[in-house]
Amino acid sequence: MTEKTKIGLFEYDVKNGLGLIGYNVDDHEHAHIIVDTKKCGDCDSMMCVWGCPAQCYQFRDVGLDEMKFQYEDCVECGTCFLMCTDGALSWNHPRGGFGITYTYG
Amino acid sequence: MGEEADFDVIIIGCGMAGMACAAQLLKEGVEGDRILVVDRGEPVGAKNMSGGILWGRELDELDDIFPNWEMDNPGIERYINNKKIGFLSSDDAFIMEGKFASWDGIGGTVEPSMRTGWSVLRARTDAWFAEKLEEAGVFIMPGIKIDQLNIEGLDHTSYTARDLTDPAEDSGRGKAQKWKISNFDPEIVDAVRNGKIRGIVQDGEVMTSNVVVIAEGSNSVLTRSYAFDSMLHAQDRHGIILGVKEVIHLGEEEINSRFGCYSGDEERPPSGMAMEAALAIFDDMAEKAWEEYPVTAGLVPRAGGWLYTNKDTLSIGVVIQLDSLPSGIHTYDMLAAYKAHPAIAPLIRGGETVEYGAHLVPEYGLDRMPTRLVRDGAVVIGDAAGLVYSNGAVIQGQNYSIHSGKLAAKVIANCIESGDFSEKALKQYKKDLDASYVMRDLRRFKTTAKFLADDANYTWVPKFMGTMFNRVVREIGEEKITVEKQVLKLRKQMRRKDRKTKKGMGLLNLIRLGLMGRKL
Repeated sequence: MTEKTKIGLFEYDVKNGLGLIGYNVDDHEHAHIIVDTKKCGDCDSMMCVWGCPAQCYQFRDVGLDEMKFQYEDCVECGTCFLMCTDGALSWNHPRGGFGITYTYG
Repeated sequence: MGEEADFDVIIIGCGMAGMACAAQLLKEGVEGDRILVVDRGEPVGAKNMSGGILWGRELDELDDIFPNWEMDNPGIERYINNKKIGFLSSDDAFIMEGKFASWDGIGGTVEPSMRTGWSVLRARTDAWFAEKLEEAGVFIMPGIKIDQLNIEGLDHTSYTARDLTDPAEDSGRGKAQKWKISNFDPEIVDAVRNGKIRGIVQDGEVMTSNVVVIAEGSNSVLTRSYAFDSMLHAQDRHGIILGVKEVIHLGEEEINSRFGCYSGDEERPPSGMAMEAALAIFDDMAEKAWEEYPVTAGLVPRAGGWLYTNKDTLSIGVVIQLDSLPSGIHTYDMLAAYKAHPAIAPLIRGGETVEYGAHLVPEYGLDRMPTRLVRDGAVVIGDAAGLVYSNGAVIQGQNYSIHSGKLAAKVIANCIESGDFSEKALKQYKKDLDASYVMRDLRRFKTTAKFLADDANYTWVPKFMGTMFNRVVREIGEEKITVEKQVLKLRKQMRRKDRKTKKGMGLLNLIRLGLMGRKL
């Protein structure tokens, strides 16, 4: 990701951190978070982008015109559900046996 | 009552609360094969995370099911005999440290000698608890997520799990969420909200039980779905904290020498250190963010940091009050800033990050805690019930979870005996919880939630403490003045610097802060 224009004096390589967690990603049909990205267009605070600790949400912070969401890296914390002010989010835990696996915790 | 239920009790979630509830049920004489524990993780513990220090000897009472837990549980890492509380600003760090002989359970002459805190790695502790429960005859089903609760007289196919938590089409923006389910047939809605719960639905299959114990943890979908007055609502992030954490491998020897810890012996695990700090280190990040995203300009990120020693790893992370996060700052960048702070960086230097993760902490405080913990045939325990207390110096939750699990189990055991699983009978759990030290703590320290949400503790207070200590103990050839004069001088200087501090350090504000602070 070379095109990113991140804010802040510190840049955490979150994808490297995520690489240390075990994942068993479910197929798209069973994605545990569904985002109605049509509702994101005129959101100016983009709190999901800033809150998400797994960089699942990317939007104007990286110069995109449209919300780009991917559930695959999700660490199942639930922050985005609380952060979204537009009712664009449908949140549930992944199906049994899918999602993250911590080995330390 | 109609036909016999598949189980007496189904416990959803095998964390601290769930496992304690199951263990206590066994102790009360409930047969293991009448208890089912389901957990999303496979193996059990795979989804679980804490900071994490387990405070309190709650597990002692359960040691017939978890024998020698302190030494044998592979997730109990070090006992804590060294506690630090810090104030970190961009320039300075002021860290208070206590090292207590009595905390290692052998030493000490005046205070009761007792080990009361352990660094834990929950993926491991919880797997062991599950294993022991299974050995004691409890049914454990890992890798199972519960979508719906079984409600008497309601066909579970008439609605889906998503209907309960999805916002309705006509839901207003920025207002309290209106759920999709509210547009359903009123009879269904009423049953979902007030019906008699009798078991669970998993993958379309119903498993019945007399009581369902919801021990889902901080991010509980079932409590918000089934009207347990959960505060975890969309668009509402007050009182919720996000913890972002790394586990860093350093090696046992290195940790012992770097943090002055002892190696363990036959009776004790190795000793360890627990540090928590108030952080005022995000000024530059915040200012840049405010400029770029004026929509949240002026919002000060309120965050704390922690560092705990495990056997051969460190747990390090930041907790961020989500309602204070401004646009423009990624939560994980705050972790990076904390790790790079001059007081922290040398402590983790040379370590290799072996895990990254994040978890919500339901630090609602008494005013915003869920009030409906009991329904016909169901109770809520642990994090799902919002049982977390912090005053900055102390942060507890796992011991409260265990305690609530035990209390619920005792009441449920009585209900099994009497055959009455109504809300009225189960309400005894709520009464017991109210009378226990858990709720007494939360009530006594009611003001702390307000205190911890005060910007001052994340802006000028850490700066003031750091600079103050710096000036009092240094010698740079200047004339010495008394501490009192130093305090007044620094206050004057800091107030002159910017308007925000001026207001924050005004006399009224200091008194207000002092009044709250003395109740910690």
